[in-house]
Amino acid sequence: MEILQFVDAKTVPDIVHEYTPALRNNSVPIIIDNGSYMARVGWATSTEPLLQFKNLIAKPRRERSKKESVELTQAPQLQVGNDIVNIEALRFQLKTQFDRNVVTHFEAQEHLFDYAFSHLGINTENCVPHPIVCTEAVLNPNSSRQLMSELLFECYDVPGVCYGIDALFAHHFYHEKIKPEGLKDVLIVNVGYQSCHIIPVINNKTVFENTRRLNTGGYHIISFLHRILQLKYPSHATSITLSRAEELLCRLCKIAVDYRVELSKWANPDYYEEHVIKIQLPFTATVVNSAVTIEQQKERKKELARRLTEINARKREERLAEDEEKIGQLLDIKEMIEYGADKATVERTLTEFQIKSTSELEKNILHLNNRIEKTKLKILAAASNLEEVEEPPAKQSKYSKMAFESEKELYMFLQNIRKMRQEILTKKMIRKQRKQDMAKRRTAAGQERMRIISQLARKEKGNDDFGLRDEDWDIYKTISKDGGDSDSEAENEKLVEFDEVLRAHEPSELGESSNPGETHQLHIGIEIFRAPELLFKPYMLGSQEAGLSEVIAYVISLFEPEDQLKLASNVIVTGSLANLPGLKERLVTDLVSVRPFKSTVNINVMNSPNLAAWYGARNFSRSDEFQRALVTKKMYQEMGAEYLKTYQASNQYIPTPSPISTDVDVLS
Amino acid sequence: MNVDQNTLEQKPVFKTTSWFVSRHNNKKRTWKGLKQIISSEKALPWPDDAVHYSSINAPPSFTPPEKFSDLSGIPAPYTDPQSRLRYANKEEYATLIDLPMDITAGYLALRGATSIVG
Repeated sequence: MEILQFVDAKTVPDIVHEYTPALRNNSVPIIIDNGSYMARVGWATSTEPLLQFKNLIAKPRRERSKKESVELTQAPQLQVGNDIVNIEALRFQLKTQFDRNVVTHFEAQEHLFDYAFSHLGINTENCVPHPIVCTEAVLNPNSSRQLMSELLFECYDVPGVCYGIDALFAHHFYHEKIKPEGLKDVLIVNVGYQSCHIIPVINNKTVFENTRRLNTGGYHIISFLHRILQLKYPSHATSITLSRAEELLCRLCKIAVDYRVELSKWANPDYYEEHVIKIQLPFTATVVNSAVTIEQQKERKKELARRLTEINARKREERLAEDEEKIGQLLDIKEMIEYGADKATVERTLTEFQIKSTSELEKNILHLNNRIEKTKLKILAAASNLEEVEEPPAKQSKYSKMAFESEKELYMFLQNIRKMRQEILTKKMIRKQRKQDMAKRRTAAGQERMRIISQLARKEKGNDDFGLRDEDWDIYKTISKDGGDSDSEAENEKLVEFDEVLRAHEPSELGESSNPGETHQLHIGIEIFRAPELLFKPYMLGSQEAGLSEVIAYVISLFEPEDQLKLASNVIVTGSLANLPGLKERLVTDLVSVRPFKSTVNINVMNSPNLAAWYGARNFSRSDEFQRALVTKKMYQEMGAEYLKTYQASNQYIPTPSPISTDVDVLS
Repeated sequence: MNVDQNTLEQKPVFKTTSWFVSRHNNKKRTWKGLKQIISSEKALPWPDDAVHYSSINAPPSFTPPEKFSDLSGIPAPYTDPQSRLRYANKEEYATLIDLPMDITAGYLALRGATSIVG
């Protein structure tokens, strides 16, 4: 199985394009697809948008201490759009002009326009002498448009502005051009970053009252994916970033045609093993191998070796002392015999020491003497050995065995450690089980606890001698939820130590993976379907809204039967996420299931759905209609800032009524 | 000289001076959020047939939400009464009972199930 890696694509700062006299003198319109994810900017004469950047600015915070002293000169460097090379480093300073899919923060919008215009190379004094074609949200609130017009006319002194809806630009002026079927009824499904729109168009007229917006989009998918992966791998939470989640969405995510079937496939472990995608997170091997430096590791090993030799030395000393004591006793008996004690006492003492005869006594004394000699020698040898261990620390594998006299002893030692480790683990498990049982009411432990509590609470007047004995207080230990003793720090430390010892002696013991990178891999299975499924199941994020298919079906159901048929037979999907694999198939299956038997359902995905809106707006600016739809500066001054000329791809214009007199003045 | 350079740097040539000056003088300006815009829009006496940003929200779902395991995403028939997490099988339950509080809270918050009543 191939292991993938994150690309972590960096943005390339935009170049400043050439501002040719042809552009300057002909007042060529500037086309801006101002999307909540990305802005695409270019001239009406260009074939492709010259600038494509994320609609983001990063404003580094000013240091408070410096605030008074040098306010102007220390102005923080603002980073805009593609200037932001490493988006994750600035994640908390990012700002966008959008609130959902509506522009609300016009200071940010101003910075982004500055960025766009200056990178187009515009250098005319005090004005941008080009009409602007700009996209806006479906049913953009008047106040938002008002501020946008204000910005464009007052700040950049543009000669004219034309607003349109991105999806409608894409449909009317781009899609229709390459597919000249001339179908006048269409259901546009725009899958965007902040929201999805379902826009019915009947007879080339947008039916706004039946348009619906689903407030779930790519942004939600990305943050959902980000979060589920973080929760799945809490230890890698910091290396799972939003931009990496975004990368996953673009590279791997798919929409399941039948989510249930897909789920049941993934629930099978064999299928999972076969299809799981492994992604290697960047890591540094040395850091992975040990949280401590090599120096510390050496130090620790030395310490361990020292402790082991100490234990052995202590044992030997004990044995030596024991032997010496015994030999002393035996010598006493021998002396006793030599001084001619009576036979009966000698016999009794001998049987006490389990010795049959005087000759055996002699033998025993000799034997013990030998043993003492040997042990003394060993103690000396061990002391010199210890020196040796400390001298060449490079041979770390040898030190452990040097501390032992034989394989058998090592084995015994390990067995012992293993036993102790197991004991602690069992203790821990029992404790956990107890804790769980205590928390529930119906278990025996829980009921026993309740019984004790009620007994404690029962007060019998007169003979309350509780607390006279120290053991009385132990009862509180038994009724506390963690059963009196919790996992102590000392125990955990011991466990770590044992693990270390075992690892040092038998590296295979604890199932250490041979490849340290394995712990730094993300296993991505069902997530590639689970995240985009959010579009169809917004309740996975706690939203009350219906899913995409349901809203489409709902919008269609708002029409008369013959219009329903027309709409269902011409559904067009656009927006950046339209290219998500499986989206079209999913929509077809879902739509067929709700449409009448044998009625036509036809769904198409627009060509280059992420740029279609820009192409459409550009094509529109070349058409005759454009001049008619343009709001000039004069109109802006006469009709008010929110004024909009309606045309095929525009919003409808309903002038803001003057507020009711009792109301607080909400506008202005 | 410093100040001069700054104004040059800060003001692109194509911006009108009047705007720039006015913006520079009253720097702090608060922008209404979308919610505020919507609520002030709603307060106005619009004609009856007017359609607004807020009136094209998607309808609530008519189908009951399916229950998926919080851990793996596969259909989950069970809910742990203690942590309120959903799980699909006993293996998941075994991992679930070991999860620290912040992780269980994270899962619940993600699903929007943090309310005590729900």
